[in-house]
Amino acid sequence: MEFNTQLLYAHDQALLALMIFIIMLGMGASLTVDDFRAVARKPRGVLIGFLSQFGLMPFIAFSLSIILDFHPAFAIALILIGCLPGGTTSNMFTYFSRGSVALSISMTTASTILALLMMPILLNLYTGSFTAQITASMQAEGTGAEFVIPTGNILSSLVLVLVPVAMGMFLRRKSPDWAKTAEDTAGFVAIIVILYLLGTAFIRHGGLFLQTPVEVYLGAIGIGLTGFFFGYWFSRLLGVFPLFQRAISLETGIQNGPVSFAVILLSFQEPVQSQMLWLAILYSTFIVLSSSVITLYFRNKGRFDWDVYRNTVIHNRLFGAEYVTNYPDGFLPGRLVRDPSQGTSPSQKRR
Amino acid sequence: MNQRISTENLALLFQKAAGRFDSLPAFAIRKSALKWKPVSYHQIYRKGLDLATGLIELGVQQRDHVGLFGDNRFEWILSDYAVILCGAADVPRGGDVTDAELAYIIDHARIQVAFVETVKLQERILRLRGILPDLREIILLDPKGTPQEGVRRLKEVCELGARLRNQGDRRAEERIAGIRPDDLFTLIYTSGTTGQPKGVMLTHSNMISQIKNIPGDHNCNDRLLSVLPIWHIFERFMEMYTISFGGCTYYSSIQTLGEDMRNVEPTFMASAPRLWEKLHEKILKGVKASHPVRQVLFHIAYFLSRQYKVSEYFIANRNLKMSRQPWWKRLALMPFHMVRWAIVLPWYGFFNAAVLERVRLGAGGSLKATISGGGALPIHIDRFFNYVGIPVLEGYGMTETSPVISARSLDNLVVGTVGPPLPGTTIRIADPETGEILYPNDKLAYGGRSMRGEILVQGPQVMKGYYRDEELTRQTIRDGWLRTGDLGIITHNNCLKILGRCKATIVLSSGENVEPEPIEMRLQQSQFIDHCMLVGQDKKFLAALIIPALTEFREAGFAEQSVEELATNPEAHKIILREIHRMTGLSNGFKSYEQIRDFRILPEGFQIGHELTNLYKVKRHEVELKFNHVIWELFSAKSSKNI
Repeated sequence: MEFNTQLLYAHDQALLALMIFIIMLGMGASLTVDDFRAVARKPRGVLIGFLSQFGLMPFIAFSLSIILDFHPAFAIALILIGCLPGGTTSNMFTYFSRGSVALSISMTTASTILALLMMPILLNLYTGSFTAQITASMQAEGTGAEFVIPTGNILSSLVLVLVPVAMGMFLRRKSPDWAKTAEDTAGFVAIIVILYLLGTAFIRHGGLFLQTPVEVYLGAIGIGLTGFFFGYWFSRLLGVFPLFQRAISLETGIQNGPVSFAVILLSFQEPVQSQMLWLAILYSTFIVLSSSVITLYFRNKGRFDWDVYRNTVIHNRLFGAEYVTNYPDGFLPGRLVRDPSQGTSPSQKRR
Repeated sequence: MNQRISTENLALLFQKAAGRFDSLPAFAIRKSALKWKPVSYHQIYRKGLDLATGLIELGVQQRDHVGLFGDNRFEWILSDYAVILCGAADVPRGGDVTDAELAYIIDHARIQVAFVETVKLQERILRLRGILPDLREIILLDPKGTPQEGVRRLKEVCELGARLRNQGDRRAEERIAGIRPDDLFTLIYTSGTTGQPKGVMLTHSNMISQIKNIPGDHNCNDRLLSVLPIWHIFERFMEMYTISFGGCTYYSSIQTLGEDMRNVEPTFMASAPRLWEKLHEKILKGVKASHPVRQVLFHIAYFLSRQYKVSEYFIANRNLKMSRQPWWKRLALMPFHMVRWAIVLPWYGFFNAAVLERVRLGAGGSLKATISGGGALPIHIDRFFNYVGIPVLEGYGMTETSPVISARSLDNLVVGTVGPPLPGTTIRIADPETGEILYPNDKLAYGGRSMRGEILVQGPQVMKGYYRDEELTRQTIRDGWLRTGDLGIITHNNCLKILGRCKATIVLSSGENVEPEPIEMRLQQSQFIDHCMLVGQDKKFLAALIIPALTEFREAGFAEQSVEELATNPEAHKIILREIHRMTGLSNGFKSYEQIRDFRILPEGFQIGHELTNLYKVKRHEVELKFNHVIWELFSAKSSKNI
């Protein structure tokens, strides 16, 4: 598909920029310096998360682009999405899916920093054949230019995105009350703006939804779902506790949509920009829906081990750190019994 | 493993629970905010056996009645365990018992051995000992208190039993084997209309049936936060129920409740409506104190949640149906509710997650359900908690039914009702005057649904009777049906809705039962008061409607010509206030919850045929209807005068 008109007008772009700013501010407001320290102290979970986020996800994006035979612009966008760090959305979904919010926050924190290093490397690694295709078609049209991934621009837009995050963290230090408000508002703003963009796109270019090939929809929806699936099983095979598993699964599938908008707007030009943006918008929309469904599923499935976890945590909180909860034989399923921490609470080491 | 333990009697329940749940905590006692002492199922059972053996050695026989006077503390539970394990029944009463009641209960229940909680209670009981010749043994629960002559320490009796058990004494086990299902496990005295407390005989099978039939899905990960008085039947039921699935009961108090909720993160709670009212107030206060943006977010969230839930209830057929709704009306409204439900869903989802979850975190965040009983829950409180996402399962019952008759369950939650009757329990609605059965009645429209009348109950939880009062038992249980004295209807979704009382008893929102007649009689002894009626059903305090004695006021120098004029005279108010103090103050033997906190002088007197019967008895229902606006205004005032 080709875009005849511009997808976003100037004021839309301004709105999008504002949204990115508010969301990243909200993200910063939910983080503390302690979160970074926690990552340094307990790197195992974050390391698995890292492998899953920057190892699995870009590869999934690449494979999907090949399998679905994507137009190069869409392929680059999908790979870009695959290489993104996690966002605060994943923390909220992890909370409601009864996963480890601490791990989710740690992973978000770590991946946001590491993205500065990983994104340029991964993009260059996976997009080679697609950029070549674009260059070929541009040269066929006679523009004679060569298409390259604007690594420098991507880096600077990532740094730019980190500015409001730092501001949010500063706000949190100064006024926790304002920080909480910023956090809540951010989620709300994100939904409003995404709906607005979809709505205007619908009105202005109603045909766009019909023009969009089915495989683009499949890619936009599939990348999140595949991420959830592999994130879950990858961490399970590595013997991670259920509530960490749920966090890693969600963190892998849910990427930081606003960062992709920023990178696309600031680093790419037409003719690919509109197409990339369109895919990013579709991804951001569908990921909210699919995460909601997955969260409901996890929430139900994880009920029992979460109850065990909370109960042991509260026993340790009230009866002393030495207290060990001994469940009757047969009460805990095999997986929790074999778990060295017995039921996911790291504080309760069994001798 | 998630199943409740099912046994023949409570002693076997304790035994099986100790075997199955072993070192899991059964009870937790608060030392400070973050320091609680756990008592495991195994520990409490072993200690209970020791104390039971001690009691047997002191001469407690199978089916004896043992007094247990005091309030919430660990030793209370231990004593309760021991009394049941030695095949006897306990006779509990709180520390606020009056001397007269104490003497009456000990004598009437033929108590020979009694536990007292505090040194103060010990002194009071010792003073009464002269008139209680049968009372042989007194045991002091408070380990820090000093027992007086003739009083034993609890520890002493425990050690006595432990020694015997070490020597191979197994009399407690023999007693357990000797318990019959219709033996009493407790004899609870409740205040009666005629002045003397009446002893409700509850059997092992009564309580076992409750444990079996109550709806709910719990396991040993559940935490119950308890604030009810420990001797109250509602609390005792919750305790036994929690034991049956291996949960842990955390004993909190009203003062520390907020803090304890956050630290314990209870998964369920049971309390009287008063507590939910307080919690509601606290949540709203917290919202008001928060950031303006957050306030707006809260109101949006609450609004959305209401829209969503109302439609959900409608679609799921769980809206309150007091009268029959024609099918076409439901059909006509259905598309509207379905569309609204679908439109609101994503927004509700977001706000529920972002805003309402914070509210729930204030209550610990793990509450799966809360149970309200012991009085009617005001409908706006009921709705508030359900909309915020803390389901309230309101139940209905009384001491005589040990205690649950009906309860809402999570999958049949009709706000405004007290749910369907428990499995195995049958409810009838009867005309209070003629005794005609209105429900179930095939001759009436819809089988008698939405007919109002007195609630009659039949089921395995109905008491054996009132102890040593066959006449009263016969009056209360007729042809196998217990007369509850409550007015109710069966809604069209087969739930019970309580409308009020047939009897005069006023149940305050704190769960206290007040018999208005003695207080009214006392007030009417004042020369300045002609008639009066107490009100306060389901309210926080007791208030009085007063008809002043005009002639007396005129003799005292008042110029008013009518009651109506007198009602506006502040001097007259002062006199009535003084009279209320003089006649029904604490010094007159009335309890603190029986104090009148506010009053209104009515603008006209009661008339025979209207508000009074031929025998000058006040027709409560008539007065309530006629002066509804006065009563409403009385209780909607921000704060009582606190006289």
